[in-house]
Amino acid sequence: VKNPLLLVAGLLLLGGCATTPDPRHIVIWHQMRVDERLVLDSQLRQFEAENPDVTVEEIYKETEELRSGFIVAAIAGQGPDLVYGPSDMVGPFEVMGIIEPLESLLDTSFLGSFIPKGLTYYHGHLYQIADKLGNHLTLIYNKDLIMDPPTTDQELIAMRERFTQDLNGDGKPDRYVLTWNYTEPFFFIPFMTGFGGWVMTDDGTPTLDTEGTVNGLKFIRDLRDRYKIIPGEADYNIADILFKDGKSAMIINGDWSWAGYKKAGVNFGVAPLPRIVSTGLWCEPMVSPKGFSLNTNVSAAKRPVVLSLLRFLMRPEIQLQTARALWTMPTRREAVASDFVQHDDILRNSALQIEHGRAMPVVPELRAIWDAMRPSYQAVLGGAKTPEQAAREMQDLALRKIKELNE
Amino acid sequence: MNRLTHKLFIAFLVVPAFVILLAVVFYPFLYNVAISFSNMSLRHIKDWSFVGVQQYVKVFAEPTQPDFYAVFMKTIIWTAVNLVFHVVIGVALALLLNQRDVKGKPLFRTLLILPWAIPQYIVALTWRGMFNYEYGSINLIITKYLNLPAVEWLKSPTEAFLACILTNVWLGFPFMMVIALGALQSIPHELYEAADIDGASWWHKLKNITLPLIRPVMIPAITLGTVWTFNNLNIVWLVSNAGEPSDQTHILVSFVYKAAFNLYRYGYAAALSMVIFVLLLMFSLFFLKKTRATEAAY
Repeated sequence: VKNPLLLVAGLLLLGGCATTPDPRHIVIWHQMRVDERLVLDSQLRQFEAENPDVTVEEIYKETEELRSGFIVAAIAGQGPDLVYGPSDMVGPFEVMGIIEPLESLLDTSFLGSFIPKGLTYYHGHLYQIADKLGNHLTLIYNKDLIMDPPTTDQELIAMRERFTQDLNGDGKPDRYVLTWNYTEPFFFIPFMTGFGGWVMTDDGTPTLDTEGTVNGLKFIRDLRDRYKIIPGEADYNIADILFKDGKSAMIINGDWSWAGYKKAGVNFGVAPLPRIVSTGLWCEPMVSPKGFSLNTNVSAAKRPVVLSLLRFLMRPEIQLQTARALWTMPTRREAVASDFVQHDDILRNSALQIEHGRAMPVVPELRAIWDAMRPSYQAVLGGAKTPEQAAREMQDLALRKIKELNE
Repeated sequence: MNRLTHKLFIAFLVVPAFVILLAVVFYPFLYNVAISFSNMSLRHIKDWSFVGVQQYVKVFAEPTQPDFYAVFMKTIIWTAVNLVFHVVIGVALALLLNQRDVKGKPLFRTLLILPWAIPQYIVALTWRGMFNYEYGSINLIITKYLNLPAVEWLKSPTEAFLACILTNVWLGFPFMMVIALGALQSIPHELYEAADIDGASWWHKLKNITLPLIRPVMIPAITLGTVWTFNNLNIVWLVSNAGEPSDQTHILVSFVYKAAFNLYRYGYAAALSMVIFVLLLMFSLFFLKKTRATEAAY
């Protein structure tokens, strides 16, 4: 332990924090949903059955708690052996030096068996190995209401006559064509990219004050105020309920939501987000792998055991178990080439969307950019700012926040 | 038992509590003080160094989004409005429940304590759903039964802040009610009988007997309530979905949370939390002294 003060702070701040001195006891922190957790749990028990002298403890933490908790614990020389989450965690963890490069710990033939998007490199080193690819938004449609989902923005708008309806005659629509979570800028990205915008340059400089941002914002505002095909107000839960209740024919939501819609009995299909006719560009969501990183505090003696678990969880048959249960896109070439992934309707469309997607940057600056986009994006939807003003203020705020982040 | 054994016995009883306090209160506090004078951040998390009062200067002088002073004012309004409603509603309900002829008293008491018994995040998320413009029950009541226009609770800064306050008022009055009820039940009934003989009105009894005698209990409760409300991250964070719209519904503690955990500005966040600590300490000392809370009532 390099800093005893931090060690005590870590111990104090983290109830249940794992110090894992026992080389045969592996601890994983993850942010998986309940359905994912059940699959992980069964896989870990399979691993324990194959390795009777090793025990694995998985601890759930909400994404933000996982991120901040892991930082505090790892800086104090503690924390789990493996940390699981989306790839945007890699940037800050790498800068802080709390995750270990993996390329020298795993053989090249093993790494070569992954599709490239499954391996997250940063500053030339491999820091995360993913078991799932995607975490991406798609167009999800209710098959009881729609047979052919729209492939362009014009087809989408033309659906207004059929679906935006005032069913009870109170003067307000009771059903909409489409809905999504308006509060998070993550859901704005497809509209931004559809009009040629993107969040940053490769070196992390924000590129928010562009026509792509302005036109994307105008387009959303028009969908709501001019065409009236989306509700006036919707956060994640409201949008989710509207879709589940059949009050919205389609929803833009991530691959994480599919299993929930199946469980809720919605007869749904998945399609790529439409193309914007005026630009000829697809609405491209961010695509990111979700996977495991190795804590720098794992001792050399313990590493082989931890890596054997990592290899187990990456086995093609294990990834396929997850894919069958949750419709997630595997990352091992063998699993991707399997009959199930190639022929399942939802996974085929998911793969199409991944093709029409852009890799989520893993640089820490992305965090500042989300923070800078959120207020102005919400202000445009709330009518408090014009798209032009919002784009300008997003850029200024992003620059300021990046400066604060890197102070 | 000789004197030495007696002292050892006292030490034996005190030491475990002291060690726990040292570990969970004093050490984190001192550590926070230390990093508030440091440059600890994303780029200096392992190699942080002391930079004097730089972070404190930033707290007061650095332009922020949202503005620090606006957030500070909002925090004061948030705390004051909540506390007034908590105490007024809490004491009023306690007075009603303390009446001898109230039927079904245990049932009412249980129902009124319910808001306090439900986990805060469930309360916050439920209220957030209730404040939805199109589908929330509050707007349905306003439009259907009161014939008033629907309110954009979560889209406008003032209304969103009001929504947070309404949620916290609902959540906070049971604590004051329970405390006030306990205090009311400890007032000897003879005092009211004597007042009745003297022909005192309900108002005179309230002013001259009830309120002075529940004051020693209510003042510490109000002080505690102030500190809790000032630092109540959960409600503001969850009802406004992390400061929506446009970061306009922050109070100081959610501002600190964002600085520390969104942008990894640990030094700055520690300095800001020290400022909050000093503000609350000064308020508590001033309030307790002014109200002479430690003096006996009888």
